[in-house]
Amino acid sequence: MQFDLAFALSTVPPILGAIGMTLLVAAVSCVGASAIGFGFELVRRSGGWGGLFVRFLIDFIRATPVLVWLYCLYFILPFYGIRLGALATGMIGLSLYYSGYLAEVFKAGIDAIPNGQAEAARALGLGRMDMTIFVIAPQMLRNIAAPMGNYFVSILKATPYLAVLAVPEMLGRAFDIASDTYRYAEPLTVAGLIFLGLALLISYAIKRLETRLLGPTAR
Amino acid sequence: MTHTDDKPAVQIASLNKWYGAFHVLKEVNLTIPSGSRVVICGPSGSGKSTLIRCLNGLEAYQQGTVTLGTIRLGDNARETALARRQTGMVFQSFNLFPHLSVLSNCTLALRRVLSMPRNEAESLARHFLEKVRIPEQADKYPAQLSGGQQQRVAIARALCMNPRLMLFDEPTSALDPEMVKEVLDVMTGLAHEGMTMICVTHEMGFAREVADQVVFMDQGSIVEQASPLTFFTTPSHPRAQSFLNTLLH
Repeated sequence: MQFDLAFALSTVPPILGAIGMTLLVAAVSCVGASAIGFGFELVRRSGGWGGLFVRFLIDFIRATPVLVWLYCLYFILPFYGIRLGALATGMIGLSLYYSGYLAEVFKAGIDAIPNGQAEAARALGLGRMDMTIFVIAPQMLRNIAAPMGNYFVSILKATPYLAVLAVPEMLGRAFDIASDTYRYAEPLTVAGLIFLGLALLISYAIKRLETRLLGPTAR
Repeated sequence: MTHTDDKPAVQIASLNKWYGAFHVLKEVNLTIPSGSRVVICGPSGSGKSTLIRCLNGLEAYQQGTVTLGTIRLGDNARETALARRQTGMVFQSFNLFPHLSVLSNCTLALRRVLSMPRNEAESLARHFLEKVRIPEQADKYPAQLSGGQQQRVAIARALCMNPRLMLFDEPTSALDPEMVKEVLDVMTGLAHEGMTMICVTHEMGFAREVADQVVFMDQGSIVEQASPLTFFTTPSHPRAQSFLNTLLH
């Protein structure tokens, strides 16, 4: 059996048809993971029991496979009366899983901000919330644009895990075609190339964003 | 607004502070009348920066009281915030917000703390940028300015909040020599307008010209407090004498 280019091309439209689902899952999970991760980092910084708990939680998340999280959320939560659809479960699972990693990135980004910034904010009378939103977060983002972009690409590449929950994203669609036709090489190659294109696009966007963030305002 | 004009601007009583076992401030007592200009000097590690950082709650202390006008610091968070709002601080390393334009550096607290509308905040900010003689830099970012210009923005940023008291923590120590003067000129102008100022500095020319009290600290204590004339001509404490000798020669 040889690689059939014509067949490969014929699988492009159906696989591309699922790109919307892939992008939706990736986008929601990026936002969710960033929001939860930033929340985790703020709680961890505030210390106390909450901080200790979050520290444990982050280590716990990072030490378990993402598939375990997806299966647990999908199959175990219903025992406790919590029924989420496959799509919602998938997005929550990816958000939670990557929040642990992003919390670490945020930590590095905040640690790199000189102490004087928070002192100046306090001296001006800014409250904790205003200081976080207007002084700390923007400077943190400048510090971490590149590693954060890497995790966004990772999240994109993790969307095929949702195939195990039968979420109709690109790789799932490719597998459907494969099992219908008994030809795996072509649809999987096509899906892989589309992922490659998307990942390159995100990397490029992040690079553009980074130069804009750093532009005339660099320290 | 409370009537505090008859009260001293700052009253420090039996202030003690430790970093672990290290006794940084030892029984500091200091009263600063409204409208006066105090220069605090002393060798490094004598506690002068720590002292002024206690005055706006940037440093906690273990014993004693600090009263700004009628407000006693540290009683509760609300009072501390109130006292902080009446105090402007200028740091050695400027601490401008690098991601914000000069104008936004000045308006951030006006808008977030005082809830001032954007137009009003911006015209107030431009007024103070004019006053520190850099109105034309309003739309630049801190990294595009010289050190002297950055420090003048920092002064404008603090003045925007209409403080009753200005704290300067070695404002010229991080500057190239030719930029020191432009910052000191702004500070001198401020002093002539009657602003209550406490300034940690080694600029003895500034102390002589502007201060009405010089406070000399050594090892966490105030060892000499005098008018500039007395302090520079006939310092009584041997530590102050040797400090002045190394500084002036």
